Amino acid sequence: MRYDCVIIGGGLSGITCGIRLAEKGASCAVISTGMSALHFSSGSIDLFGHEGEGKTVFRPFEFLDDFIGSNPLHPYARCGSSQIREALFYFRDQLGREDIDLYNNDDANHFHVTTLGTLKPTFFSQRSVFNEKIRQAFEKKSKIAALNFEGYRDFYPELAVINLKRNILFRNIEIISGKILYPDYGDPRRNPFEYRSIDIARIFDTERYLEDLAAQIRAAAGDAAFAAMPAFLGITNFKRHHQLLQQLTGLLIYEIPTLPPSILGMRIDNALKSRFAALGGVYIAGDTVKSGTISGGRLESVYTENGGASALGAGNFVLASGSFFSGGLVSEFSRVREPVFGLRVHSDAERSRWYAPEFFPRDGHPFLEYGVETDERLNPLTDDGQRIANLYCIGALLPHYNPIREGSGGGVAVSTGYRAAELILAGN
Amino acid sequence: MIKLENISFDHCIKCTVCTIYCPVARATHHFPGPKQSGPDTERLRIKNPELLDDSLKYCTNCKRCEIACPSNVKIADIIQSSKWRYFKNVFRVRDFFLARTDLMGSVATRVSYLVNFFIKLFPVKFFLDRFMKIPSERRFPKYAQGTFLSWYNKHRKEQEAFAEKAVYFHGCYVNYNNHDLGKDVLTVLNAINVGVIVTDEKCCGVPLIANGYIDKARKNALFNIHSLEKSASAIGARIVSASSSCSFALKHEYPNLLEIDNSAILDDLDYITRFIHERFENGNVPAMKPVPVRAAYHSPCHLERMGGVMNTIEVLKKIPGLDLTILHSECCGIAGTYGFKKEYYKVAQKVGAELFKRIERVNPEIVITDCETCKWQIEMSTPYRVEHPVTVLARAIDGKKL
Repeated sequence: MRYDCVIIGGGLSGITCGIRLAEKGASCAVISTGMSALHFSSGSIDLFGHEGEGKTVFRPFEFLDDFIGSNPLHPYARCGSSQIREALFYFRDQLGREDIDLYNNDDANHFHVTTLGTLKPTFFSQRSVFNEKIRQAFEKKSKIAALNFEGYRDFYPELAVINLKRNILFRNIEIISGKILYPDYGDPRRNPFEYRSIDIARIFDTERYLEDLAAQIRAAAGDAAFAAMPAFLGITNFKRHHQLLQQLTGLLIYEIPTLPPSILGMRIDNALKSRFAALGGVYIAGDTVKSGTISGGRLESVYTENGGASALGAGNFVLASGSFFSGGLVSEFSRVREPVFGLRVHSDAERSRWYAPEFFPRDGHPFLEYGVETDERLNPLTDDGQRIANLYCIGALLPHYNPIREGSGGGVAVSTGYRAAELILAGN
Repeated sequence: MIKLENISFDHCIKCTVCTIYCPVARATHHFPGPKQSGPDTERLRIKNPELLDDSLKYCTNCKRCEIACPSNVKIADIIQSSKWRYFKNVFRVRDFFLARTDLMGSVATRVSYLVNFFIKLFPVKFFLDRFMKIPSERRFPKYAQGTFLSWYNKHRKEQEAFAEKAVYFHGCYVNYNNHDLGKDVLTVLNAINVGVIVTDEKCCGVPLIANGYIDKARKNALFNIHSLEKSASAIGARIVSASSSCSFALKHEYPNLLEIDNSAILDDLDYITRFIHERFENGNVPAMKPVPVRAAYHSPCHLERMGGVMNTIEVLKKIPGLDLTILHSECCGIAGTYGFKKEYYKVAQKVGAELFKRIERVNPEIVITDCETCKWQIEMSTPYRVEHPVTVLARAIDGKKL
């Protein structure tokens, strides 16, 4: 089997890269071990949220112009600020073609509410999470009702309300919490406490219960102008259900990202895969790349678990296998390694320096900044120092940035994915 | 005593991604999903089998949960093995017969005209529905007259004359129901200069596993491994199968679920389109005439789990004139014998509904898929005819009408 490009890893960075390549006519295959980290994400795309000392970044592009110069190893520096902008708006355009509209506050960050009721700066959000109407109503200090299903364990509106009220922005805004009840299916064997976001999203998808739910939401919200609900308002046709629910209730309804599985993240994942397939890309799910043949500084082919002895060849390869959680990096007792090709990794030999003593340290945990060392063209080195010219490393696998502390994970994935595609296209 | 290799449920981080991609959990609220039925409750069942929850019987063993799992938990294997480890083995006539595809086949093919005639009659359907709990809506595959093996034996000599040969595991469906597919395998492999060798085989075990006849499945597995190994190693041949589920059983279910060592044949096993595609890639492409047909391709769950879908697609793309639409990956719902059971029939049809809708939107002249039970399900539930990729390829080679 041979393609123009084989992408190892089917997450945000891998598929973004695949879409760009496939759009330009390259034959592309994406190989993905399991479902990607998008299923655990907020579903918003962060660009840069916090600088040193936890200070909020309001205008991320302006910030990046300076930041890149003083942080030459940061993945953003590998892209350059004009290409970061190009990548992000390209991404928004591609999702738009799959009927997901992303909101951005021009060049500024906006804030989305987290499950705990804190505010997080981000660059793109789905319109059910943030939009102009929400901003206007918020500026008018309209009353908010945070609602939940009785028994749903992945969101506690009371807790969110307490945290929101601590925030200076919400000082003069009235916030209440309330409960609604699951529709009755007459199935005594299922306990509603077992339902996760996905079960509830399916209730909305049936559309059968929308009127009943709308009546309950209206009653629970009282005279509030907003209803904040956990993000489970459907997967397929969610746009229509969101609109319908707003019409039926007469309220502005916005979604708060939940604990996994993330319905917001899934919508983006579905849209990206669908776009990739529409452009002729091949998505191979449930298989793992085990090894590759490297000769003369080039990766010639890779071997997968299911493929056994049959090789997958390509002119270029992209490694988008993620960080520790996704298996792109593996930690042993005293070393961090890249498991497929044994690439050179930036880490620390002394295990006690991998992490900070506090759970939420201000400067972040050092291990989050470990990853595969690359040159400015995103090409990695093998363990014996040989550069692999046709292998590009992107996304969470890259070192020298801290997605948690910076609030930059989504932006780095999208812009390095786009950057690798541009490098590959320019090379041909 | 917990066996160390059986604790893959410990790798589950409760992310619930498997439940998102479970077609049964999507179709019915009665099934709590693979996470809960598999890793969550397995740790309880190990302590006390009485904590067994009936709802895990809804699992169809499609393996989509395992494809989705980011933590490499063998979710479907956990659920399947729990079914036969912990449920009391109640003998059910229906399940006995559904599981014995080769016994049923060898009897029915002697009197296939009678069987095919009677099975459509209302009183028979009524009896099956009422007393056997086989839903009257379910259409049965037709039995053929005689077996594929007896046809093949008349052609064995000419196949043995080829310099390169492949051992062909034909499976019950080709042997008892659809000889033409077996003949098409010969047409295609002969066209790329490969002779087809058939050896002794028993049912691969998929229906036995699904109905809890694990000991019988193990016996069949040992027989098949031994027989295929003997015949393949004697002539240095690869082993091919054109049924995605048979192929999946030989490759994955034997070691993972039945805990039987299949290393003697593992490296030689190929699902047929991988075998063909590798030869195509090496320049061994037969002359093909155009097949000007608008087709929609449906990828079966077990082929997806094996990672073989791209081979089938690449092979189909080589057929001149074929206008191919790849359908979004969805389960058809039948899951072997699952859709033949009255208690699951509605769920099976609801699982498949999304696929049927997508096929209707494409409105193709034919549907192409690798799995025989997917074929039965799609032909029963939609107005479209379903063909195997090898059959389409054979028509391109012999120029006959598809």
